[in-house]
Amino acid sequence: MLGSQLRRFRLAAGVTPDQAAFEIRASRSKISRLETGRVRLKGRDVADLLTLYGVTDERLRSRFAMLVRQSNAPDWWMKYSEILPEWFGTYLGLESAASTIRTFEIQFVNGLFQTEDYARAVTQLGHKTAPTHEIEHRVGLRRARQDVLTRPNPPRIWSVMDEAVLRRPVGGPAVMRAQLKHLTEVAAMPQVTLQVVPFARGGHAGASGTFTVLRFEEHDLPDVVYIEQLTGAIYLDQRSDVEHYLEVADVLSAEAMTPAATTRFIGQVARET
Amino acid sequence: MNGDKRERPAMATDEAPAPGAAGAAGRAKAPTFDTSVAHQARVYDYLLGGKDNYAADRAAVAEQLKIYPDLAFSARANRAFLGRAVRYLTAEAGMRQFLDIGTGIPTAGNTHLVAQAIAPQTRVVYVDYDPIVLAHARALLVSHEAGTTDYIDADLRDTDTILAQAAELLDFTRPVAVTLLAILHAIPDADDPYAIVAKVMDAVPSGSHLALSHIGPEFVDQETRRKLEDNISRMSQQQYTPRSREEVARFFTGMDLVAPGLVRVEEWRPDPGTGEPGKSALWCAVGRKR
Repeated sequence: MLGSQLRRFRLAAGVTPDQAAFEIRASRSKISRLETGRVRLKGRDVADLLTLYGVTDERLRSRFAMLVRQSNAPDWWMKYSEILPEWFGTYLGLESAASTIRTFEIQFVNGLFQTEDYARAVTQLGHKTAPTHEIEHRVGLRRARQDVLTRPNPPRIWSVMDEAVLRRPVGGPAVMRAQLKHLTEVAAMPQVTLQVVPFARGGHAGASGTFTVLRFEEHDLPDVVYIEQLTGAIYLDQRSDVEHYLEVADVLSAEAMTPAATTRFIGQVARET
Repeated sequence: MNGDKRERPAMATDEAPAPGAAGAAGRAKAPTFDTSVAHQARVYDYLLGGKDNYAADRAAVAEQLKIYPDLAFSARANRAFLGRAVRYLTAEAGMRQFLDIGTGIPTAGNTHLVAQAIAPQTRVVYVDYDPIVLAHARALLVSHEAGTTDYIDADLRDTDTILAQAAELLDFTRPVAVTLLAILHAIPDADDPYAIVAKVMDAVPSGSHLALSHIGPEFVDQETRRKLEDNISRMSQQQYTPRSREEVARFFTGMDLVAPGLVRVEEWRPDPGTGEPGKSALWCAVGRKR
């Protein structure tokens, strides 16, 4: 994401890849790899390139530098490195830098809101043959990720979920009841908004499946859409791609129950579970 | 307490409309969600540097800026007027209840943030006719402290719905500050905007206030106006009716204008040393009901 932002700055400044490469004493192909996120960004190179591209706004530069540091190891999740695929590490970096996180879930409760038991049940579904200690390690990672909810100046999280997420008793009814209770507690956090699209609404705009839109405070940083797959993830930050998802997110949030009605509904589903 | 999150019996303001309900009484004018034409709320978001806008909104703005470069200044100046007016109404006029009609897409310095920073117990009710704008408001315009924030899904023209629901959320025996910022010019003469404003202000007691801003025809020449009207008729979902200084003044019938009276938005009690140079195309005033 930072790479493609660098590319946008370069194009806006009318700088060729050769000129950029010369600036940081690198090859033209290194610039291409930097801009496509295939090599790690170095703080000094990025600072030099931003200068070359005429990006002088100090706030933006220091924010960029912070994102570069965050996108590079070591970070809190490095202790999970043996179970953490690289593509997910990228997501964690972006997630912790985002000012607003919008999600749509169709099957499972969002990882940020999962109880330990629910997270364990989900993890076991995906890693049927994994030994206990590995499962626990994965559950630990998910819990650690939830620190984003309680840190100072937390991101705003606006999560829309299909009713199926509430109805599917992952881990059994007791685990699910506790999970639903936890969801009502999360919903009461001032920076969290939960909305449910009930079955009664019929078909909805989220036919695309689960996705996340990350927004950053800086005016110049584009939104990023994150779509997880079995063996990797897709990151979209081209405006035309992102806007499709924003549009779906907007329609879903208008179709869904209001936040207040959602809290009552989750309570009702908990009593029925 | 948190306005949208506290428990209370289900009521109309709480429920998103069922699909197809848009044609029901009072919602007849709710806009369809169409990102292929510019939308007033998203255009304003874009002019203020927000990210909740689409290609068609930006294309319309790009053309409009060529015709009228002060458009972006006008949007910022209108937003700054909102901040100063709400601050005045809360800190100096003692208002503790706001009815903010035409909420728009949440951005920095929304009404409840300004008012509740001064008087945390202030109640703010946001009204918008666009279900998606309202979804953003419900998600993002949330009180953190003692004050409360509520939402009404209604068109400004549907004063019966607005007043009926607002009466459940606000105490109409005590003064209310009504804000109508950059929205009345979207109401054509055929829909009688004067009757709409009069009906809302009739419902609130003496000592209540009205703050409004409105596009004026005096600020641009004939040729620029013609080009802007052409752009908007081709590219925008909403159409606009500029109104002259005298016409805007008529909205304040039965009210006394707070100093400095009816002026351009950037001229209304400007904060010393913070004004950026520019000329907006918006009249504004704050009036107190006798």
